[in-house]
Amino acid sequence: MLNRSLAPQLSPIEDVDFRSPMCSALNGIPFFHMKDVANDTCRFDMYFSAGKVHGVKSLPSIVNGLLLSGTKDRVTNKINELINGLGGFYESGISMENAAISVYCLRENLIPIMEVLIDAILHANYPEKEVAESLNDRAQQFKISLKKGNVIAQREFQKRLFADKSNYAQVANIEDFQHVEPKDILAFHNANYINGLQKLVLVGNLDKEAILQLSNLLKGFNASKDHTSTFLANMPQVHHAEIPDAMQSAIRVGRILFNKQHPDYLEFMVLNTLLGDYFGSRLMSNIREDKGFTYGIGSNVVEFENTGYFVIGTEVKKEVREAALHEIRFEVERFQNELVSETELNLVRNYMLGQLLKSADGPYAMTDLFLSAEMNGKDLEFYNEAIHTIKSITPERIQIIAKKYLNWEDFTVVSAG
Amino acid sequence: MIEYKKFQLENGLSVLLHKDPTTPLAVVNVLYDVGARDEQEDKTGFAHLFEHLMFGGSVNIPEFDSPLQDAGGENNAFTSNDITNYYDVLPLQNLETALWLESDRMLSLAFTPKSLEVQRSVVIEEFKQRYLNQPYGDVWLELRPLAYSVHPYKWATIGKEISHIEEATMDDVKSFFNTFYHPANAILCVAGNIEFDETLELISKWFGSIPAQPKNVRNLPQEPEQKEFRSKNLVRDVPSKAFYYAFKMVDRNHPDYYTCDVISDILGQDKSARLFLKVKKELQIVADINAYITGSIDKGLLIISGKLNDGKSFEELEAALWPILDELSSEEINEKELKKVLNKIRTSKAFQEQGILNRAMNLCYYELLGDANEINRENEHYKAIRSTDIKRVSAQMFKKENCSLLTVTPSENAK
Repeated sequence: MLNRSLAPQLSPIEDVDFRSPMCSALNGIPFFHMKDVANDTCRFDMYFSAGKVHGVKSLPSIVNGLLLSGTKDRVTNKINELINGLGGFYESGISMENAAISVYCLRENLIPIMEVLIDAILHANYPEKEVAESLNDRAQQFKISLKKGNVIAQREFQKRLFADKSNYAQVANIEDFQHVEPKDILAFHNANYINGLQKLVLVGNLDKEAILQLSNLLKGFNASKDHTSTFLANMPQVHHAEIPDAMQSAIRVGRILFNKQHPDYLEFMVLNTLLGDYFGSRLMSNIREDKGFTYGIGSNVVEFENTGYFVIGTEVKKEVREAALHEIRFEVERFQNELVSETELNLVRNYMLGQLLKSADGPYAMTDLFLSAEMNGKDLEFYNEAIHTIKSITPERIQIIAKKYLNWEDFTVVSAG
Repeated sequence: MIEYKKFQLENGLSVLLHKDPTTPLAVVNVLYDVGARDEQEDKTGFAHLFEHLMFGGSVNIPEFDSPLQDAGGENNAFTSNDITNYYDVLPLQNLETALWLESDRMLSLAFTPKSLEVQRSVVIEEFKQRYLNQPYGDVWLELRPLAYSVHPYKWATIGKEISHIEEATMDDVKSFFNTFYHPANAILCVAGNIEFDETLELISKWFGSIPAQPKNVRNLPQEPEQKEFRSKNLVRDVPSKAFYYAFKMVDRNHPDYYTCDVISDILGQDKSARLFLKVKKELQIVADINAYITGSIDKGLLIISGKLNDGKSFEELEAALWPILDELSSEEINEKELKKVLNKIRTSKAFQEQGILNRAMNLCYYELLGDANEINRENEHYKAIRSTDIKRVSAQMFKKENCSLLTVTPSENAK
């Protein structure tokens, strides 16, 4: 008779096969190539030092959205038609420090797509009509986003998190989308795209010949000389933004912390997982699974080139906002007051090792895992250190780390709703 | 080509095995043939609420998540109007843990009152977070009953209203489980670097002794052919006017299904689609416009949605939109345009097949539709589409009396 109460025997994850992309340079730009892809898919990314902190009044994000707005020889519709006609998917995105464009396609189409795309970006002349249309669309999207509690909470949080008034603290305003000087766009384009290429990433089974062609296409770009150097500090403060008629309150609690370069980073990540980064975390167990206050709550560390921040985020029933904040504080401080049990810590060890295994599975995930370390000047050895830390960290170390970094007085606490 | 082997256990459970020697992970995917379309009209949102309860402990195992996390795995689930799908991803060496957990909750749940009480609150917060406390968040709650008059697609997966979730009782929960959660109503796929014999033995060990039950016979009210144009306007606290045109289309297994998909791509997939070029770029009536299909198993919808620019009217949009739809119904599209759409579909399919989880989920889904191997024939179906098909199917679909239109007007400029 099968005993269903008895769990099958578990085997621990001993190690993970981390595979590095080939690292070289194309025209002096760092180039990472993950060639081992089993089918015909490929992805090509270009990173630029053109993130939000590189400009004011949303200019970086406006320019990023207009990269394919046309050249003197090709209008925007033509550019899109050519890329789409070759089965290509183009994405552009912007983060705090960088901007990136990505193309997803079948490898046979990569070079013809990149011919169109690189020509479009190198020679973009930002036609007035396209700029006006884009600003109009941006204004509409912006107004819609301001109807969302989590967007308002994030804005208010960001202003206080980067309280030194640096470019990191900037949030968009409706005026940003009313008018932009063409010369500002062109100047930004020239400084941060044409002369701001940071790195190139290719995932896909492409041969030397194709890479040589890529390298020729990219000749008009120059490497970024710009290095963001930041030293940030948050303003510990409690702030509430009232939204009449809201049904929920969005909450953000956090502080400036660090990134992978810091010696306590890996230990902190174990603590972060215990607190709020998996389904069975303390925050989820208490605030969702015990109290039913929310659909979800989580915590994470957002990383920049030279620093990072820690944040807890959730949306809760409006009536329980204070109770939810009280429980969040209780769970944070419990790590300072009590040792975590070996059972719970073991579960999190196994879960984190499983997540690492998953993050390294397949060429696309593996490349992204590599890039996450590379951004902070680390290589794949960092993940072997991670495995070591996950396996060896003690409940006592967790408590020490909690006492060092999770003091409620250091937190910026924002709610909106 | 996705290769797999198919088996059936004596109790009726369908089993698909897919070998991928390149990954250290294994996937266990369990699809239950139950969705919001199987609910009673006065107890909607139940299939989804039930999905939450499936994590509240089973008859022999007090918690679902922690043993899986202890095995280095993670899991999640989703519910649609058609199906409820659960998946576990974990290191191959601990595959048996997922089989143990999934089989126990197929056998029976713990049915604890606490779990029901908490998950009711969690789902109500999900309802608010995703549908009520979002600009334009409730349009699907309104569009469905406009487009469907009798078929249960007239309510959203989350439910018609919060009260249905508030009023769910333990008896409802138990009866739902007994009707829909048993081997003959499920399809299991195990994927990874597995040995077939050994895996099948493990599956038999854990699932084989779950009692068989006859498969529930689905007898849903069929939506009658729509014979009149329907429209409804909502006044909401939003900044811009929005529109949602819903055209009835064929069901998932109809030979014209893929043609409908291609038509939606021609109209509104990307920045070189017809609606984008004409209504946005040329006429500047909208800030954005898209077209897509719901992809449901029973007769679905082709949706054209977007937001108007300030100062533009729904009448101007109407005047611009219909000639574009009429053109598709009356003139054959050229090969180049069709090829563009098919090229993008090829790219998307290739990327979807990258991940082992996607493959496992899709195998189960296609098996539910009738035959898992259809997953390998999709490209052929798309390639077989001719411009005459596009014209013929467009003419059937793009008729005013086949359309339901939902518009949203900002409360500030409501008349």
